[in-house]
Amino acid sequence: MNLRKYLKVYKKFLHTSLASELEYKTNILVDLITAILSLVGSIFLLSIFFQNNGYIGGWKFEQALIIQAIYTILNGITNTWFNPNLTEIVKHIREGTLDFVLLKPIDSQFYISLKKINPSGFLEIMLGFLLLFFCIRINQINLNLSFLTLSLITISCSICILYSLWFFISTTTIWFVKTWNATEVLRSFLYIGRFPLNSFSFSLRIFFSVVIPIAFITTIPSEVLLGLSQFWKILLEVIIAMIFLFTSRKFWLFALKFYTSASS
Amino acid sequence: MVQNIIDVRNLSKSFDISSKEPGLKGTIKHFFRRQTKSLKVIKDISFEIKEGEIVGFLGANGAGKTTILKMLCGLIYPSEGSILVSGYLPFRRKENFLKNITLIMGQKQQLIWDLPPIESFYLNAAIYGLDKFEAKKRIKKLSEMLEIDEELFIPVRKLSLGQRMKSELLAALIHEPNILFLDEPTLGLDINAQRNLRKFLQNYNKETNATICLTSHYMKDITSLCKRVICVHEGEISYDGKLDLLLKKLSPVKEIIIVCRSEEDAIKLENSGFTIKNKIKNEITIKIDNNSITSSLKTILNNFDIEDLFINEPPVDEIIGKVLIKKDYDI
Amino acid sequence: MISNLINNKIFTLLKVQYSNMLEYRVEIALWAISGIIPFFMLNIWTSNNLNESINISDVLLSRYFLCAFFVRQFSVVWVVFSFEEDSLMGKVSPYLIQPLNPFFRYFAQHLAEQITRFPFALIIAFFFFIFNPETIWIPNLSILILSILSTFLSFLIQFLIQSIVACLCFWTEKASSIERLLFIPTLFLSGLLAPVVSFPEYVKSWIYLTPFPYLIDFPANLLSGNETNIRGGLSMQILWIFLLFPLFKKIWSEGTKKYTAMGS
Repeated sequence: MNLRKYLKVYKKFLHTSLASELEYKTNILVDLITAILSLVGSIFLLSIFFQNNGYIGGWKFEQALIIQAIYTILNGITNTWFNPNLTEIVKHIREGTLDFVLLKPIDSQFYISLKKINPSGFLEIMLGFLLLFFCIRINQINLNLSFLTLSLITISCSICILYSLWFFISTTTIWFVKTWNATEVLRSFLYIGRFPLNSFSFSLRIFFSVVIPIAFITTIPSEVLLGLSQFWKILLEVIIAMIFLFTSRKFWLFALKFYTSASS
Repeated sequence: MVQNIIDVRNLSKSFDISSKEPGLKGTIKHFFRRQTKSLKVIKDISFEIKEGEIVGFLGANGAGKTTILKMLCGLIYPSEGSILVSGYLPFRRKENFLKNITLIMGQKQQLIWDLPPIESFYLNAAIYGLDKFEAKKRIKKLSEMLEIDEELFIPVRKLSLGQRMKSELLAALIHEPNILFLDEPTLGLDINAQRNLRKFLQNYNKETNATICLTSHYMKDITSLCKRVICVHEGEISYDGKLDLLLKKLSPVKEIIIVCRSEEDAIKLENSGFTIKNKIKNEITIKIDNNSITSSLKTILNNFDIEDLFINEPPVDEIIGKVLIKKDYDI
Repeated sequence: MISNLINNKIFTLLKVQYSNMLEYRVEIALWAISGIIPFFMLNIWTSNNLNESINISDVLLSRYFLCAFFVRQFSVVWVVFSFEEDSLMGKVSPYLIQPLNPFFRYFAQHLAEQITRFPFALIIAFFFFIFNPETIWIPNLSILILSILSTFLSFLIQFLIQSIVACLCFWTEKASSIERLLFIPTLFLSGLLAPVVSFPEYVKSWIYLTPFPYLIDFPANLLSGNETNIRGGLSMQILWIFLLFPLFKKIWSEGTKKYTAMGS
């Protein structure tokens, strides 16, 4: 019953935000071109790295393209869901309309993180999948069911981690209204997700797997696809994703408590 | 017997205000040792509201009206005391409680800016778990009451402020709440739109027996809607009771302007024991106590040759203005 | 006399904007951190010995990326976003009444921000030198002055381009998406992620005709002591400014004409 209601509400969210975005049609077109150029640029950069070298961090060009594909999918998801909702939260807090959200008989985290959708991110996701299928062809990966489930699990975990990182920043808006800069820092860190973790020096590798687990986000799913990943890594990613989700939830509830007892 | 739908006992609210010295040094100091002061904005208030009542909260800016309203709907956690709204503790924001109430804030809007209001209505309907048929029925009924029609299909950004407010109301009322909290609902509206809004609230209250709590700076909102007012001054309730009574107590005298037909009569009237405010030729202004007004007028009309007569009601705004700045008025 | 007046105005504006920017120290520090992508790229280059193929030593490449970081820090422009927000919030009308082109205001804002940003950039450079002590160098005075000049010219080019895009706000509601589109070639072709020397021949043949390599690659090469054509680079920068400035003037007067005609 409850799940059905949430599904129904989500359908409405989709409907309303698609309808509002379609009010700015040229904007969507520009965003589409941006997404294509961005992918072309990344592959161009990757090709520069590989132009005189067969391997980088133990990865061949064809293999590194998988990381690029997964990065593009995840970036598309970020642009479709996480980023527009962050913008929305900032607006809610600046204009004081968060009150309306809190008075709705619906989970506020659900409302706040899924209300908006930016359709131009869809193309990026599709581009990512196209590249991924292309990579599966050129790397001669044989797909089977257990393989697919594993990659699905790791990619979902990546999405959870990514979501939590973005939602953390969104939550901090309750204290600091201006979070654009924090977003930029996160974005620039996420940028390294385009490259295999092993292509960085040891200290950076540690930093990006322990402090900010960006390494997990793209490298592990790619390793799974190439059949290179060890079981413990997959397990670790699942655990980290769960910790992140759990903490982001707790942090949001904490922030709400602060909001309701301190704001005027 | 009518039930108490809102019951507030010994409610207090303090906010922690952190003070910071200016400059970099102050910032660093502030970072390590935060100095906070507790500021009590609501001080031990108690009141109850019965089902179907329309109650106005009066007070100057910063008196605590909005804080009280927000505590009643569960947006602010009370520091001390208890609140019970239709049997629920508001700050828990239980689903069934939230389905019972609504909050409308003037100038803050929940409608989706780029879309026609109807889209927001259906979104809200889904959130409150209404099916499409029921939602349609309620939208139809409310839009008739609010006298809006084609506006429902025009993007919100193209609507006038008055039309937008009506749509806001519809969005806020689609789940048929029992209790309405309105914070400055008429802010920024023109006189016509204000009047329509008040008329609507009155009808809504009559038809559904919903309880309405509102704050407003427009006295007209209060005087035409609320029989009962609660005055808030610096976090305390300075008056809670009937509006007429408050007005009567605050301005116990009325001014009456009498134009006599002859100057002799005017002089006679001047010396007949009434309190005279001023006299210009045969026009005399006198002050009469509220409770002796009929008898006094009878005497005057019987004994003097009167050409014309006006009763000067002191403007309500002025009286309530007094409420806002005074603490006690010995009632 | 007239230039004197303008100078005075700019100076006052600068002072006001500087104290305003000081209020946003945290934000600016975060901005500075978000610009560290060049260091990640450097890490990939050196960890995989990619620089051998383009005949640049480790030390010179490190200096190049450090300088790229610096040039980027002092040529970041966000005038589109400011202008878009101001025009959405209706602040443009009062600006138009004032006897000063509103873009002077944004210009002063940017300069003030650069001054505030300077110490943070120095701190990041300091840490860079601690980790890479062999890269410390002192450029001679004339080179330093020339590279500051070319960085400023790069800032001017970007400011003009973005101001032109910002003027599109008069026609379309969301000009910032066009800016995001333009940012993609800037990101990949300016030399922020890889020095232009390393680009394949088919790109190098035409790229020097675009403004992109003069935004970061040229000033960074100049400052870091890498090989570059000083006279050619500076004259291309000035040429682009002379091309862009009339274009900006034109689009600004067209835009304000349209704006005042609409009467909104």
